Amino acid sequence: MVTTLLRLAYQNLQVKQLRLYIILTGVSIVIGVLFVSSILIAGIYYSLERGLSKLGADLLVIPKESLVNLKSALLTGEPSTFYMESSVLEKIRSLKGVKKASPQLFLTSATGECCVIGNSFLIGFDPSTDFTIMPWVAKKMGDSFPDDGAIIGGMVPFNLGDRLHFFGVPLTVWGQLERTGIGLYDNAIFFHIKKGYEMSEKSQTDPSIPPLKPLKGKISSVLVQLSVGAKIPFITFSILRSHPELKVVTTGNIQTSVRHTTIAVFFGVIVLIVLLVLSNVLMINAIFSAVVNERKRELGIMRAIGATKNSIFKLIVYESTIVTLLSGLLGMIVGGILLKIFHRTIIFYLKLLNIPFMLPPVEIIAWLALLAITIAFIMGISGSTYPALVALRIDPHEAMKQGL
Amino acid sequence: MDGFIRAIDLKKVYYVGNQKIEAVRGVSLQVERGDFIVILGHSGSGKTTLISMIGGLTRPSSGNVFIEGINLWALGDKELSLFRNKKIGFIFQSFSLLPSLNVLNNVVVPAIFSKKAKKDRKALQSRAHSILSDLNMVDKMNSYPSELSGGEQRRVAIARALINDPDIILADEPTSELDIRTEYEVIEIFQNINEAYKKTIIVVSHTLSWAQKAKKVIVMKDGLIYDNIADPVETLMGGMSKRI
Repeated sequence: MVTTLLRLAYQNLQVKQLRLYIILTGVSIVIGVLFVSSILIAGIYYSLERGLSKLGADLLVIPKESLVNLKSALLTGEPSTFYMESSVLEKIRSLKGVKKASPQLFLTSATGECCVIGNSFLIGFDPSTDFTIMPWVAKKMGDSFPDDGAIIGGMVPFNLGDRLHFFGVPLTVWGQLERTGIGLYDNAIFFHIKKGYEMSEKSQTDPSIPPLKPLKGKISSVLVQLSVGAKIPFITFSILRSHPELKVVTTGNIQTSVRHTTIAVFFGVIVLIVLLVLSNVLMINAIFSAVVNERKRELGIMRAIGATKNSIFKLIVYESTIVTLLSGLLGMIVGGILLKIFHRTIIFYLKLLNIPFMLPPVEIIAWLALLAITIAFIMGISGSTYPALVALRIDPHEAMKQGL
Repeated sequence: MDGFIRAIDLKKVYYVGNQKIEAVRGVSLQVERGDFIVILGHSGSGKTTLISMIGGLTRPSSGNVFIEGINLWALGDKELSLFRNKKIGFIFQSFSLLPSLNVLNNVVVPAIFSKKAKKDRKALQSRAHSILSDLNMVDKMNSYPSELSGGEQRRVAIARALINDPDIILADEPTSELDIRTEYEVIEIFQNINEAYKKTIIVVSHTLSWAQKAKKVIVMKDGLIYDNIADPVETLMGGMSKRI
């Protein structure tokens, strides 16, 4: 009976086509906006998760005043420098519960002798203790990382084997990370930390090289991996007790903080979508109330010839749901096409807003499509429930007298 | 009293504002299987309300309706709907077809609600085809109601009433708005249904054309019935236009 009722509902929809098109247009716009926005938001989150997971660290120890700079660096890859004494590293390593600790050294803007690289972020790391960069190298030359090697981020426009010069120090591109959407990684050039100190020294002695701060004995951050069972609050407390000038952040802290920024940006969009969904539900309600009112006699006849109240309810809800599901599909197709066309523009504007973005994987997009269709389905049901309940109250005898 | 259809002291009272309207004022009626009864009466005499109560469409203010011993108004809504669907074929006044469906689909609609559609889809289509053939409507099977004449629409409504092979046909003014020639054709069809299909038929009408063909004529006036009458026109005291 369900199939036959669905067919009947579909045939009924074809009678008043203007109404059909009004609902199709309204709901497909809502679902299209919803689908595209959800892909954008998911893309941002995916990008953040993917990028921040590559920190690979449970804790990040940095100078106290540098947290804001770190967030900016994470999102935009804008060069951001802050330093602390390198002696901190050994103290952290000696703490019970710390499995690995590896230093990083951030240098100021990347001015190469061969060229000037706009926003590239120069980061020295220690390959012997590193656990955050090497595991994520997507392509590389050979197995061992040479002393003069450089690992470039996914968006740095160099090829493997290219020769670079920074602050008088030559480097060879040895590997490249996959793209993450996180500025810190995508725009960075990583090299041996001792090359960072060499750059600093050369800049002090060679007047043709832009000056860097004296960095001997300094590091920018310590990435910490904890032993199994070690408690983050306990380690944090231990570090801060001996070094109150430091700040200990977890990757969770950073993600939360960055998420708040993106939610603030997308809050307006989310509110707009909610309002659009509600207004469309009201529109469906109004249209189907009119439909029920116009078709009182017809529904009365159906009741008279044996339709139960349940069948009448289903018929009205099926009609509405068929339209909203079709609208949902249409909205997703149009939204998907627009997203494909304006993909680069969207990334450009998000970048202006310091928001990282990568298209999420197909399976996430498929889930979002399912969510959009489900919302379209719910809109259909919720929009027509009240008119369908009104239809149940139709008295067959009274309804048939209306046509006399 | 063991009739096929028994209406016992049926009353129906409406209220329009503070005004009490007694549409049917205590009607008892017995119909035997295979009867062809016509209820004649003026507009507002209560005949449509009476047939609606007998058919399970309007709940009486008081009184009972028994069909094959089943108290219709003791059934729940779902049971009553299914009972109507299975036992009673309704034919209404004009514009009773579903405009979105073609003739064939209009005819099979009652079967949708009877669970027959799922089981015997082909058999159902075949039955609809056969009934439409009997009514000379096969060539219009794919037409929509708006493309049919008044007489053709009535024939489709008759086919629809027969699709579930009900025991009873209830018809409310089935020849209203038809010309005399078409009216007679429709009456012939009803007579044929009564004789060939062995259906029990109750027709309410305000035209006397039916009186000649029915096995029994009942006159209804001011919410009461006048049974076993020699001259319906006399009973109606000349208030009815004799169209023959």
